[in-house]
Amino acid sequence: MKRRVVITACSAITPIGYDKKNIIESLRQGKSGVKPLRDDGLLTKHIHSRVFGTVDYPIEYGFKRQYRKTMGPVAFYACQVAKDVLQSSGLSRDFITSGRLGVAFGSTHGSPTVQRDIYKTFFNDLDSKFSSIGAVDYLRSMVHTTAVNITRMFGITGRVIASSTACTTSSQSIGFGYETIKYGMQDAMICGGADEYDTTTVAVFDNLLACSVDYNHKPHCTPRPFDAGRDGLVVGEGGGAVLLEEYESAKRRGASILGEIIGFGCNNNGGDMILPNLDGITATLRLALESARISPDDVDFISAHATATKMGDVIESQAIASVYGDGPLVTGLKSYMGHTMGTCGVIELILTLYMMEQGFIAPTLNLDNVDERCSMLRHTCKLTETDTRIAAIQNFAFGGVNTCLLIKNGKEADS
Amino acid sequence: MTRDELKDKILTILTEDFEFEHPGLNDNLRDDHGFDSIDAIELLGKIEVILDFSLTRDEKEKAMEIRTINNILDYIEGIVNSRNK
Repeated sequence: MKRRVVITACSAITPIGYDKKNIIESLRQGKSGVKPLRDDGLLTKHIHSRVFGTVDYPIEYGFKRQYRKTMGPVAFYACQVAKDVLQSSGLSRDFITSGRLGVAFGSTHGSPTVQRDIYKTFFNDLDSKFSSIGAVDYLRSMVHTTAVNITRMFGITGRVIASSTACTTSSQSIGFGYETIKYGMQDAMICGGADEYDTTTVAVFDNLLACSVDYNHKPHCTPRPFDAGRDGLVVGEGGGAVLLEEYESAKRRGASILGEIIGFGCNNNGGDMILPNLDGITATLRLALESARISPDDVDFISAHATATKMGDVIESQAIASVYGDGPLVTGLKSYMGHTMGTCGVIELILTLYMMEQGFIAPTLNLDNVDERCSMLRHTCKLTETDTRIAAIQNFAFGGVNTCLLIKNGKEADS
Repeated sequence: MTRDELKDKILTILTEDFEFEHPGLNDNLRDDHGFDSIDAIELLGKIEVILDFSLTRDEKEKAMEIRTINNILDYIEGIVNSRNK
């Protein structure tokens, strides 16, 4: 059994806005969501990179305590975007709880904020009379906390897939959700990812000399994917969710078709845990095309992983060039908000859906002087009004995990 | 501590930390206020602070029979009395 899988709802909390209107405005006007790193009272003073892709606007969650008690900050993002997609989908309560709707959702490592509180308790507790680790601390911090807080809040009884593969977390969520519906295991899946404000992640990349440090005094000028002046990634926060549905049932119930997932490639480099691998990445891009049964010429736009690290962008450029030549427009969307870690795949897919619907492609921000080693691609250097029929969303993670999702424009999918 | 003083402390915890609205002494904690086993564990931690000593595992397991606020008060008084014997 192979079924078509369409996207019928989406929502993203990003450093450049929450609702669709704000996000599109930021993309059209070249607004950055990168801000100065906030002091967290722990690691900040030891970190060289002083920038962060920040969600600094208020969000009215309105979750009752019965749900809040098992949620760390990361689950707030996750449940909010899941609530948005369920509300806008119009799915019935009967279907949501039927077992035919599942959840594929993850984060880089659960809630580091809560984990940090647990460790504080350990170290402060040595002279204390009581063991004071909260009954819910594990539920709030565990690696699958986003997925199961979503199932709990909405009474979802289908499958749970909780990928946790760093930067490919949410692209795997979408890919695995797509395959789950395509092969008939579920009729619909809420897919996505979230990551909260966290300086431990910044410290990790800072320690590996992978974080941006030269633009601390002007945060909006970094990251700079593919630019000769790039100096590393910027960590960010956010959440995103898409609702995937089997095409025929979505059509029958009159759902809006925002796009169609037509292919998914996923593999591992089988070696180094950190260095980007040209063979592995190239193979992933080809796997996605084979999965979609399309040729490279069919792809109009590539949302590149493009973290703005020195080698990562070069290797990705080589992979794109070898598979696609200089055909599709290429944009590094992290230039607007930094690297939202486990969320980046779903956010970049949602931004691509918005651009497809609106008929434009946003340029890579801060791409003033293309690095010669990345110059063989057709970079989007200015806002381009164009129709996009098929787009690729590429993401690569520590541990050597690579993903590529291929999506078709909603109007095309619906025709 | 008198039963009234204990009642005031427990009601404060239930309204402020557990967000109970208009708690009644004989309300069913689960049915009327959504109080579940996770909440029970959290409440036991707060009861330890009130009593200023750690509860044993046996004492904690007995708390799982609690259904109402009056049961909570009886439970705490029972613990104190048994320790004072």
